[in-house]
Amino acid sequence: MEMLGLSLALFGAALAAALAGIGSAIGIGVAGGAAAGVMTEDPNKFGSCLILQALPGTQGIYGLLIAFFVLNKLGLLGGGGAVALTWNQGLQILASCLPIAVVGWYSAIWQGKTSAASIQMISKKPEAMGKAIILPAMVETYAVLALLTSILMLMGVQVG
Amino acid sequence: MGVAKLKKAELYYHKSVHEQIAAALQETGACQIISTDVENPSRPAEVEALISRTEEKLAEVRYLNRTLTPHYVDPIPALDRMLGERPEVTMTELEELASKTDLTAICDITRAVERETGEVRLKLSEAKLNESILSSLEFFDYPLSVFNEGTRTLTALAGTVKPESLPGLKAALGEFSKFAQDTELVIAPYDEKQKPTEVYAVLFYSRSVEAEVREACAKNGLSLVEIPASFEGTPAEEKEKTAAAITELEAKETELAAKMAALAEENMLTVQKLSDYYNSLAGRYNGTAESEETESTMLTKFWLPADRSDEVRAKIEAISPEVELTLADPEPDEEPPALLNNGNLVRPFNILTELYSSPTYRGIDPTPLLAPFFWIFFGMCLGDAGYALVVFGTILYVFKKYKKISVGVKEFIRLFLFCSVSTFIYGVISGSFFGNFIDSFVPILVPLKNSLMLVDPMSNPMQVLGISLLLGVIHLMFGLLVAAYEKIRAKQVIDAIGNDISWFLLIVGLCLFGVGTGGMIPPHFVQIGELMAVIGAVIIFLYAGKEKKGIINKIISGFLALYGSTSYLGDILSYSRLLALGFGSAVIGMVINLLGGLAADIPYVGWLVAITVIIGGHIFSIAINILGSFVHPLRLQYVEFFGKFYSGGGEPFTPMTLSQEFVNVKA
Repeated sequence: MEMLGLSLALFGAALAAALAGIGSAIGIGVAGGAAAGVMTEDPNKFGSCLILQALPGTQGIYGLLIAFFVLNKLGLLGGGGAVALTWNQGLQILASCLPIAVVGWYSAIWQGKTSAASIQMISKKPEAMGKAIILPAMVETYAVLALLTSILMLMGVQVG
Repeated sequence: MGVAKLKKAELYYHKSVHEQIAAALQETGACQIISTDVENPSRPAEVEALISRTEEKLAEVRYLNRTLTPHYVDPIPALDRMLGERPEVTMTELEELASKTDLTAICDITRAVERETGEVRLKLSEAKLNESILSSLEFFDYPLSVFNEGTRTLTALAGTVKPESLPGLKAALGEFSKFAQDTELVIAPYDEKQKPTEVYAVLFYSRSVEAEVREACAKNGLSLVEIPASFEGTPAEEKEKTAAAITELEAKETELAAKMAALAEENMLTVQKLSDYYNSLAGRYNGTAESEETESTMLTKFWLPADRSDEVRAKIEAISPEVELTLADPEPDEEPPALLNNGNLVRPFNILTELYSSPTYRGIDPTPLLAPFFWIFFGMCLGDAGYALVVFGTILYVFKKYKKISVGVKEFIRLFLFCSVSTFIYGVISGSFFGNFIDSFVPILVPLKNSLMLVDPMSNPMQVLGISLLLGVIHLMFGLLVAAYEKIRAKQVIDAIGNDISWFLLIVGLCLFGVGTGGMIPPHFVQIGELMAVIGAVIIFLYAGKEKKGIINKIISGFLALYGSTSYLGDILSYSRLLALGFGSAVIGMVINLLGGLAADIPYVGWLVAITVIIGGHIFSIAINILGSFVHPLRLQYVEFFGKFYSGGGEPFTPMTLSQEFVNVKA
């Protein structure tokens, strides 16, 4: 049972990277489909389509970031031994990972849908690129807030 | 600073010089033609004639451009082209080129090649279809002429049928056949284990039972396959012929493709140059087509920036003494376009305003107001001295190598040049250089790095969060003050106080009260804060009920307005993204260094892997973080800041200019 804390913390890291990554993959996939459709008509839109398609990718990176944060906190990176964790501390770390895991997952999917719509928009009105970027960025706000919450929570958890 | 003053110009000139005038107005790039009244669409016939001649040429140019581009290998790499490395020509050279180029002849040759290619492709697809039919008929070793000619009494048909329909078909054929030799069904050999969906069948029949045979076939699911009349020999012989034909057609197709490529190689540059030439001509004539006319004079009206009027006047008067240019200020009921006119330091930020919406002519230009905030926010989001140096160095290199970058692209690049400075500053004071590169690999520099650090997001994120939110409050309050100023300028003092100043007082007051009770500032600020907040809240409460009738309605709308403070809370918290994104780039950098450090432990090749991981990783990190650092501060401008005072909605100033899609055209 003495490893339960470590396991719980790792479970949290896994959730953060996996769920946010899944969300980003779906979001980018949705946006990519729309981008490919637009580019069959006008291949010159590749640049702007790519930027819009990349927008829902940040959640995956936020998830990865939190996962690394946890691994670093546990001392699992860099060859030193893992720190000793009570199951309570493990559960606290798991809880800290949940905001970015869940919000990253869902927000990336919805951001992907908004990106796809924005891609449709610039196919008709290329001059509206500024507005097209802002609409998906509105969705990302909540992923940023979740990232912030996860970071602040992780920093508050005392280990070692 | 701000929106440039425009003059409404009225230019009277003799019809004999209208072409030179149109060219001069376009070359200045400072004249936006004002359309004549829609009720009076009559356009000068002289200009109309020029337009239709130009349109004819443009149609040819567009055809060639569309047809030849897929066959053209551009000798200039796309990046170089974007950065202005393109052929330079003058309008005079283009005019010469246009007069000696026979576009119609090039079009004819191209059309001929295109038509021939189409025919060859059609024949080729026919031949390939025949080849597949012949492959299926290989079991049938008789001359194929039997299908279309037959003998006096006998003929045949070919078709496909599902294996399970075969018994039915055979039975139906036997029923009406008076003699066994009336019909004979030959089925292509097939492997039952593979369960083919259909098999080929050939049916010989006596001409006397033709109608019955066809009916029996239709009823039993035999679908006919048309055998081309040109087939006479056995399938094997015909297949050989078809294969030879296919080889020949394919060779022909390759040859035609080479011909097309040669045409593209030979003519594409000319076509591109002429595309810009004729587009320029079409642009200028469509401009002066919007003129009013008398029998021998024309009147063209256009908007002209006030500071360029002398230059334009000199240019026009050099053409002919018989011109008259009058300049007038815009009338109050006229809505001129808006031209952003900012100094060197602010100009790169114009694009941020233009991406949102151009201001109105008499409205405020938000560019100088947002520029310093965007600069700081971008710096905080990217927030790494190493990344800043990479960006800065890359841009200097680009500017050194490419001297002909177009103005728009250059300004956009300069935006990042400026922002790399703020990124460097924030990187230094937050101690981030390629993430934690210094701590990981160059410990000797750690004391230097630490001595320059003013904030430490890693160990004290609350401090940076506080700074982010404080910047947010400053940004928002500045927006409110601008809104109040705008309203006062429009003589709506009460609205300015009720809508903007009141919220300013409430929020600043609450902030003072908050930090004051936290003991961070002297205690008497707490009282000032309290007072401001109360006054602000009271004004908001009263102003909201101004239009409402009855005391109850007034009270309800007052409380509803105060409830609006939650949206300000949301706005302020939105600035926490400055911490989160800066933190994000620092941690991604840290992770890359960590992975590089781990890779260095691999025996023998570790250092190589480590260098690859570190360089590749940081390049990726720069790319992804620049995107985020551009988008999020922009959102703070558009949503939080512009939401307070700016809605745009003006028309941008779009003067007549020379078309420069493919080449750099000089007047």
